Amino acid sequence: MNSFSYVTATSPASAHELVGADGRYLAGGMDLLSEMKEYIAQPKVLVNIKSLPALNKIQPGDKSWTIGANVTIADLEDHAELKKVLPGIQQAASEVGSRQIRNFGTVGGNLAQHSRCWYYRHRDIHCLKKGGDMCYARHGDNRFHSLFTGNTCISPIVSNLAIAFGALDASVIVLKGGKEQKMTIDELYHEAWRNPEAHNSLEPGDLILRVEVPVQRTKSAYLQMSERSDFDWAIVSCAAAATVNGNKLNQARVVLGAVSNIPYQVEAANTFLEGKSLDEATTSKAADLLLEKAHVQPFNGYKIPITRALIHRTLMKLVA
Amino acid sequence: MPSWPEKREYIGSHAKRIDAPAKVTGAAKYPSDVQPEGWLYGMIYRSKWPKAKIVKIDLEKAKAVPGIKAAVFAPRFDQPDQTSRYYGEELAAIAGTTKQACLDALRLIQVEVKEMPFVVREEDAKEDTSPRVWDDQPNLSKPRLKENGDVDKAFSECDAVVEGFYTTPVQLHHPLETHGNTVSAGGDEITIWPSTQHVVGARNDLAGHLNVPQSKVHAICEFMGGGFGSKFGLGAEGGIAARLSQAAKAPVKLMLTRFDEALAVGNRPSSFQKIKLGAKSDGKLHAFELDSYGTAGYGSGGASGGGSASPDFPAPYIYKVPNTRVKQSTVVVNAGVARAFRAPGHPTASFGMESIMDELAVKMNIDPVELRIKNDPSEVRRKEYTVGAERFGWKEKYKKPGSSVGPVKTGIGCAGATWGGGGRGTKAEALVNPDGSFEIRCCTQDLGTGSKTVIALIAADLLGLKPEQITVKVGDTRYPPSGGSGGSTTTASVAPAIYDVCTKALAELQKQSGVEDARGANWAGACKKLGITPLTVNGQWQEGLSSSGAGGVQFAEVEVDTETGFTKVKKIVCVQDGGLIVSKLTCESQVNGGILMGIGYALYEERVMDKTSGVVLNPNFETYKLLGLSDAPEIDIVLLDMPERGVIGIGEPVTIPTAAAVANAVANALGVRVNSLPITPQRVLDAVGKLKNIVPAAAA
Amino acid sequence: MSESKPKDSFSVSRRFFLKSFGASAAVAATAQVEAVAAELEKVNAEKVHGPGTVPVTLQVNGKPLKLDLEPRVTLLEALRNHSNLTGAKEVCDRGTCGACTVLLDDKPIYSCSKLAIDSQGAKITTVEGLAKDGKLSPIQQAFIDQDALMCGFCTPGFIMSVTALLKQNPRPTADQIKHACSGNLCRCGTYPRVLQAALKAAGAPIANNKTEVISYAKLA
Repeated sequence: MNSFSYVTATSPASAHELVGADGRYLAGGMDLLSEMKEYIAQPKVLVNIKSLPALNKIQPGDKSWTIGANVTIADLEDHAELKKVLPGIQQAASEVGSRQIRNFGTVGGNLAQHSRCWYYRHRDIHCLKKGGDMCYARHGDNRFHSLFTGNTCISPIVSNLAIAFGALDASVIVLKGGKEQKMTIDELYHEAWRNPEAHNSLEPGDLILRVEVPVQRTKSAYLQMSERSDFDWAIVSCAAAATVNGNKLNQARVVLGAVSNIPYQVEAANTFLEGKSLDEATTSKAADLLLEKAHVQPFNGYKIPITRALIHRTLMKLVA
Repeated sequence: MPSWPEKREYIGSHAKRIDAPAKVTGAAKYPSDVQPEGWLYGMIYRSKWPKAKIVKIDLEKAKAVPGIKAAVFAPRFDQPDQTSRYYGEELAAIAGTTKQACLDALRLIQVEVKEMPFVVREEDAKEDTSPRVWDDQPNLSKPRLKENGDVDKAFSECDAVVEGFYTTPVQLHHPLETHGNTVSAGGDEITIWPSTQHVVGARNDLAGHLNVPQSKVHAICEFMGGGFGSKFGLGAEGGIAARLSQAAKAPVKLMLTRFDEALAVGNRPSSFQKIKLGAKSDGKLHAFELDSYGTAGYGSGGASGGGSASPDFPAPYIYKVPNTRVKQSTVVVNAGVARAFRAPGHPTASFGMESIMDELAVKMNIDPVELRIKNDPSEVRRKEYTVGAERFGWKEKYKKPGSSVGPVKTGIGCAGATWGGGGRGTKAEALVNPDGSFEIRCCTQDLGTGSKTVIALIAADLLGLKPEQITVKVGDTRYPPSGGSGGSTTTASVAPAIYDVCTKALAELQKQSGVEDARGANWAGACKKLGITPLTVNGQWQEGLSSSGAGGVQFAEVEVDTETGFTKVKKIVCVQDGGLIVSKLTCESQVNGGILMGIGYALYEERVMDKTSGVVLNPNFETYKLLGLSDAPEIDIVLLDMPERGVIGIGEPVTIPTAAAVANAVANALGVRVNSLPITPQRVLDAVGKLKNIVPAAAA
Repeated sequence: MSESKPKDSFSVSRRFFLKSFGASAAVAATAQVEAVAAELEKVNAEKVHGPGTVPVTLQVNGKPLKLDLEPRVTLLEALRNHSNLTGAKEVCDRGTCGACTVLLDDKPIYSCSKLAIDSQGAKITTVEGLAKDGKLSPIQQAFIDQDALMCGFCTPGFIMSVTALLKQNPRPTADQIKHACSGNLCRCGTYPRVLQAALKAAGAPIANNKTEVISYAKLA
């Protein structure tokens, strides 16, 4: 890591001031330190935001839950009521990394984390996402890469929580330029769809404060498929949420993870599921709609059948 | 002729590993832990180019970083215009008072290079049009040919013939303690703490490297964090650490990073095996043909130091076929050279051979276990198949390939192994103190295999003492020498020497004390009679207490989710023969370890090279995947007790057939074979036809 | 081991500030003093440390470890390079293997991925801190009894993960143990016995050593 100074912020406003143009926020630090060790990131100052008041609370509510950005992933995993009311989030949390990572990784950090593409993360490859000329993955080994992208970079989003929050129509409150701004999950990542150098829509100095999750959808679920049984990035992940009446879905949302630079949703698929009861034919059709625009790379075609399987299984979990 | 005692209390028991307390408390000091006075941190600067002429290396800016005490070139690169042939080759190194100073200095090393065309993948390298790794020779060598009988005629005589093309990846050792050393070479006396599988070898190498008498070099390695074949010889990093230490006149600790481990400290060669196998109607193998190539990196194995690292492997492995033709070639690429890796060649050989055996079994509608019993020349293994099949429930579990119902399919498979495991040459010293304390000194290694425990248990039984009463000192060149811990030779080499030194110590004690039988309850009294002078006795390896030749068979049961390609190994049954098992507890742990490593080879591990940039794409544990606790299956071990063979090592045979058994189980589950390791979800889905209509879109 | 560098800034502790007023500070003025003290504490809280070395105090195994470290030094480096607590091992330095696991306020974390300066104020426990007066913890003993180790390099990390788990959940299932230890890798292959040791330490029944030994001479 390069040399840097360290300061603990006592308020979001001073955190913003302290981070300046050359600094980075330090919450858990898992992602930041891993980038710094490869010199991909070289901030001059690290602003410890773990002491910011009130950002580490999980607040249940009748209409929506508020989850502070400094809540650790372990806190989400262990929260008994969350598991009952918003199981999709709890499931997504339990699959983040390992227990050691979950103990200091935070919600904000998980949402804001950077690409895990092995070209992007390689210290000696100057890829498109880092400002270089070429997306190496497109010309190389893209087995882990995106099926959907709005630009040349095919590195997929890896945040489990973004997928689970997306299915629940959560909002993320971000401190932008001194003002609190409410963003949908779509908006939080939209810039990554458009801009190969972006991991999300956050600009330097932006600070995630909290996530607000409406509880109107009574059921939610999250599944991922990885090569190893545990502590592994998802090859494909899927989150679904809906209000379930009998066997019929209302307000369904299905979001795919690790297959696009953003949490991937298709409006037509959500609409199609409205009022439907779930069976293989329905889930298969939903999968068709979700995968319609898939653009398969030379080595990631296998993600298609995996995605189909996960869509079916995640939806069926809603009515289990 | 010496022989092991008939009555054995500790030998063959589950007596505990004697260095476990040191390990569970953090008290055990590994070579990466030692902190000699004034120690400096060392770091290597590695080539960032898959092939380049290193025109000039400038260390001046690096040297000027506060805290840096030395900066040296790697051997060869103190001359300009040397060619470096792989990403990761050592070019230079620095030592400083802190890791942070070293990190900063490393980034200030300036290298002028002329980049050259390179090739990193075997399939590209073997083409005539490929850039050459060495100017004066094509990348693909001429095949080495071995023939037996008349294979072409024999195939025409076969009633059943099967063919297949099987591949295995480059596998990385990835011991948890990285390669490296702490070296104090600043003064007249030189001390090195190497993380090594051969302490004497490291000492000798260092003396040679520094051009000093071996007697001036002291090597110590009491604990080390794994090697699996890759830690023989000093290694480039050891020589470099020594140079730094000399230049800085201070001890230097230079341990590699995990990133480095993927580049430059060895690997298991890959294989691309075209195999044809034919049998007569009674199932007896009649003809065998193998045409294979693989890579051992940019050079041949010899360049790396120690062990067999060629891509060649025995074929048709454990089977004796009257008519064979075997052609094996090497393909060089711009990547790090191979090194001996736990049973070099054998897991690779087993995978190809046992896969095609199962193909033959399916074609001929013969039960796979029966086909093996029919053709396996080893009586021990034939019996192991019988014992194992019953214990595993083979007959009850066996279904026709692909016949299990539902998307999650179950299947079973089996495979066999052969290895040596003999050893000789160890010397040991025993100290008998008047207060009854007893110490054995031997410069052997304990990689976690349990050799210290083996020593203690033998001594305990021969002297009628408890293991806790035996002090065992290993890993120090001031003790009598032993060979390297490779080839599963340690136990067979050490145990007879311990037998000898204890027997001699007992005899000497009895002579000096006048006590006729000084064992057990009489021990303390006999020792007291020594007065003030301890006894020291030397012993050495003796014939008749050990031998060579272990086999083993394994059965695997798997579950494959054909919708996602996810494979889970549910159970492994291992029937393993060896000889006299000295430490049953540590032996079982070795069996577990070998099996788990074999599962890694079967399902997760491969070094991935990038064609465009020539780098290793997965130089970490994130994308080079070792199996985790949740991936471990139920493991059921049957040990065949064969004490009449004497001591035989089993560290390697236990890892040989696992991947083959798993691959056969997957093929049995799916009804179609995945012919390449690792058996990834992508390969499973492809095999079951789930990728048929999926065509990559045209490049954007 | 680290070079001594001039301190970057001078910090005033709240207690020092209040003390400096002496016992004679008027009661009426106390409220104002408190407000100033609070302000000072806030200012100190946002004091910029580094980039050169700064004093860092870590509470390790119940004792303060006072070091002078650059902010970029990780907790693992502080333990291994700046003190003699080498129980936590450096294996990957990327938070992927668990060999560096220590407990921070009883929670297992990757010490390689946490800055030392960012670990102040927390209770840090390393493997060296588990044995009490030379007596091994039940988990350490269980690892020995079940032979849940071979080369031992992953062992401190596993022991810390299991220790934390059993403190939080004294009766875990096998699946819970596996999930809790998913962040710890072993290359020698001790997993089955680590699981046994954890179950044993939790007082759960474990199968007896199932290895069967068959005399070859007696086989048909």
